[in-house]
Amino acid sequence: MNIILEARQLCRNFGGLKAVHNVSFNVAEGEIFGLIGPNGAGKTTLFNLMTGLTPVSGGTLSFRGKTLTGLPPFRIAEKGIGRTFQNIRLFKGLTALDNIRVARHIRTSAGLLSSVLCTRASRNEEQQVEEKAWEILKLVGLAERGMELAANFSYGEQRRLEIGRALALDPEVLLLDEPAAGMNSAEKHSLTDFIREVRDRFNLTVLLIEHHVPLVMNLCDRIAVLNFGELIAMGAPAEVQKNPAVIEAYLGAE
Amino acid sequence: MDEFFQNNGFLIVVMVQQTLLAMSLYYPLMAGQLSLASPGFYALGGYVAAIIGTVEYFSPWRDALGWGVFPLEWLIAGVMSALLAVIVGIPALRLKGIYLALATIAFVEIVRVTCLNLDITGGAIGIFGVPQLFESRWAYIWIFGPLLAVMLYFSYRLERSRVGRAFKAIREDELAADAMGINTTRYKVLSFVIGAVLAGIVGAMSAPFLNTWNARQGTFDASIAYLAYVLIGGGRSIWGPLLGGALLSALPEVLRPLKDSRLIINGLVLVFASIYLPQGLAGALGRLKLVFRRGSRPSGGGA
Ligand SMILES: Nc1ncnc2c1ncn2[C@@H]1O[C@H](COP(=O)(O)OP(=O)(O)O)[C@@H](O)[C@H]1O
Ligand SMILES: [Mg+2]
Repeated sequence: MNIILEARQLCRNFGGLKAVHNVSFNVAEGEIFGLIGPNGAGKTTLFNLMTGLTPVSGGTLSFRGKTLTGLPPFRIAEKGIGRTFQNIRLFKGLTALDNIRVARHIRTSAGLLSSVLCTRASRNEEQQVEEKAWEILKLVGLAERGMELAANFSYGEQRRLEIGRALALDPEVLLLDEPAAGMNSAEKHSLTDFIREVRDRFNLTVLLIEHHVPLVMNLCDRIAVLNFGELIAMGAPAEVQKNPAVIEAYLGAE
Repeated sequence: MDEFFQNNGFLIVVMVQQTLLAMSLYYPLMAGQLSLASPGFYALGGYVAAIIGTVEYFSPWRDALGWGVFPLEWLIAGVMSALLAVIVGIPALRLKGIYLALATIAFVEIVRVTCLNLDITGGAIGIFGVPQLFESRWAYIWIFGPLLAVMLYFSYRLERSRVGRAFKAIREDELAADAMGINTTRYKVLSFVIGAVLAGIVGAMSAPFLNTWNARQGTFDASIAYLAYVLIGGGRSIWGPLLGGALLSALPEVLRPLKDSRLIINGLVLVFASIYLPQGLAGALGRLKLVFRRGSRPSGGGA
């Protein structure tokens, strides 16, 4: 198994608060890797460190052996890491189609001049972007509503659109921050299948933050448990579920 | 018809010119950046044209090129505005919202005071006798009009392009745009440069039009006036500054018979528009269009 992501002694402090403290783990290519822990444990902060949105206070992070720490977010996206946000951050004033098209930015190259002069290359590229965008909208089940503003979508639809936007980056690693939050149980159920399906179809490695225990247990190959910024357990779902420290910190607290 | 243009030609050209300046605010705004720097670049462009048009050093250019010196002035003004915009934009665009607006007003003031104190810009007196491109004022529509057409086409293409989408993504959510692979600094600076180049070229066209150029061109007042154009017209599409610029620049003339009370009416229009037209005139018209479409078709869905 190839290691695709490697975190070494990652730390992030907010003032005196150790939001992430000495966290180390490896993620293997193709894995669905769960990240669980109580609210405030530092899961989202860990994603922010991995995508460059929050600078690290210490430690390193590497992707296929190349270091990511210190790179700005857009460079990390270019390298092939896509993400969604816990508090959905779609481009709400743009159509669903445009939300997806924006994410094709790094896979295209038209500049200001070629677009304004409407060169053949830029027209071809636009057409490809549009086709790809509709394809992804279809994949996330929103093809009929491509021309609607993202703001008009329901919670569950916005979550799916946001996954679609991340997929449009053609990422190798997909980070999903509580993708099931706000979904009804039918939606949650189909989300499990959907995540597996896209993993297989696009050869993705998936990191998943989720509170919904059945979904995590069902879907993940391995799970890491964070508590107060520290990694307290890591392993197969069944193992982690039995770990006394985990039961006390997280599952017991439910 | 001829008489109409003789009487109103000046006003119409000014309307187009002001509309172009309102549009110059639109490009940074498209990327979510409220920049009021346009008057500074407008002033710079005007000085470029005035200096090339009058200074002895450039007389061989003028003799060699004839009327061709005018397009050359526009070109030089555009290039210089672009360079200055990069230098100013990179640090200034680190600021957000109202702080950026204040910093760009400071830039306008710095340009003004600098030009007020330099010899080459004519100091407080400014530069007189800038050579005319046309004999009549009205004829300047033949440069401002095509520029407006070019900018409308440019905007139309920009809205539908990779670069334009990057701008809009930054406007909608800068952090998410960054996470989706958009170099936000680069595109914010680019949007600022586009606005600056437009304002600079309009300045370079305006110096011959006004025949004179001085430090009263491109001031803080103008920053506020252009902001009003965009607020009233709307900042979400190019039609906003177009409408706002055309209507508001004509308003003082239309209200001239009311003498001093026209300023009050001008102010009231601004206040009411910002209360009742949060998306500006263009936004209100857009919604109206939507209502009509919904009414005439069984179900929405859009084009
Ligand atoms: N930008 C920030 N500034 C200050 N404190 C923060 C910031 N982001 C997160 N925190 C704090 O860090 C801790 C971990 O937060 P977070 O990573 O969002 O937790 P989780 O996603 O596991 O619920 C919390 O105590 C939170 O208040
Ligand atoms: Mg969180």
